[in-house]
Amino acid sequence: MSDAPDNTFSLVITGAPYSSQAPQTALAFAKAVVDSGHLIDRVFLYGDGVHLASTLIAPPSDELHLPHAWSEFLTEHKVPAVACIASALRRGLVNQEEQDRYELGASNVLPAFEIAGLGEWVESNVKSTRTIYFHAGS
Amino acid sequence: METLIIIDQAPYGGFSGREALDMAFSLAAFDQPVSLLFTGAGVNWLRKGQMPDEIYQKSVEKNLSAAPVFGIEKLLADETSCLRYNLDKEDLPAGVVVVDTDAKVIASFTQVLFAG
Repeated sequence: MSDAPDNTFSLVITGAPYSSQAPQTALAFAKAVVDSGHLIDRVFLYGDGVHLASTLIAPPSDELHLPHAWSEFLTEHKVPAVACIASALRRGLVNQEEQDRYELGASNVLPAFEIAGLGEWVESNVKSTRTIYFHAGS
Repeated sequence: METLIIIDQAPYGGFSGREALDMAFSLAAFDQPVSLLFTGAGVNWLRKGQMPDEIYQKSVEKNLSAAPVFGIEKLLADETSCLRYNLDKEDLPAGVVVVDTDAKVIASFTQVLFAG
């Protein structure tokens, strides 16, 4: 018997908050993973999913604030989260480093999220038992 | 562990196909076996003579021609979809294999994912 968890999951979110259900479904799944005693290797935001990492989302107060809800989960469970750099730059999601590099007027990435390349996704793919995709659906 | 990435949407109308192709190139760059399957409207990726300059897009045809160089294992095209979109086998880019996509084809991969 090993102390290591049996299963590790990686979550890939490609659907944007408030235009798709993907980030909320992914959060419910992530909570179930942790509650069942399994481990989440990392969360990877790809395509429109990168909008989840924005500091500039302000939904009506009676709606779930998805970027904050996700940030709280990631911080509480020490789960690394990465937004794909190519997806993020195209969609106006930049951290301080990218703001400086491209001489942009602002940065807007929540501290719970890093910006990095697809190599992070490849690595999580290899390391995890399962990689689960949360798409926008068509 | 071999991954199959399925592209089932026509090129240029959306971005998910291009981002799926980036995923494939990325796996290949890290020596992870990966193949692509074009099915449904996705077989239009394989059409020759694409001229997307006028809509300020890069040619996916050119992108795909680099696939073997970058180590993508197989480029598969679904036979029924090719028929539906009037793509002759002779018109497909070199190296594309036409398959009758059934459960067996899909099951031969460890991991299967869709673009967006």
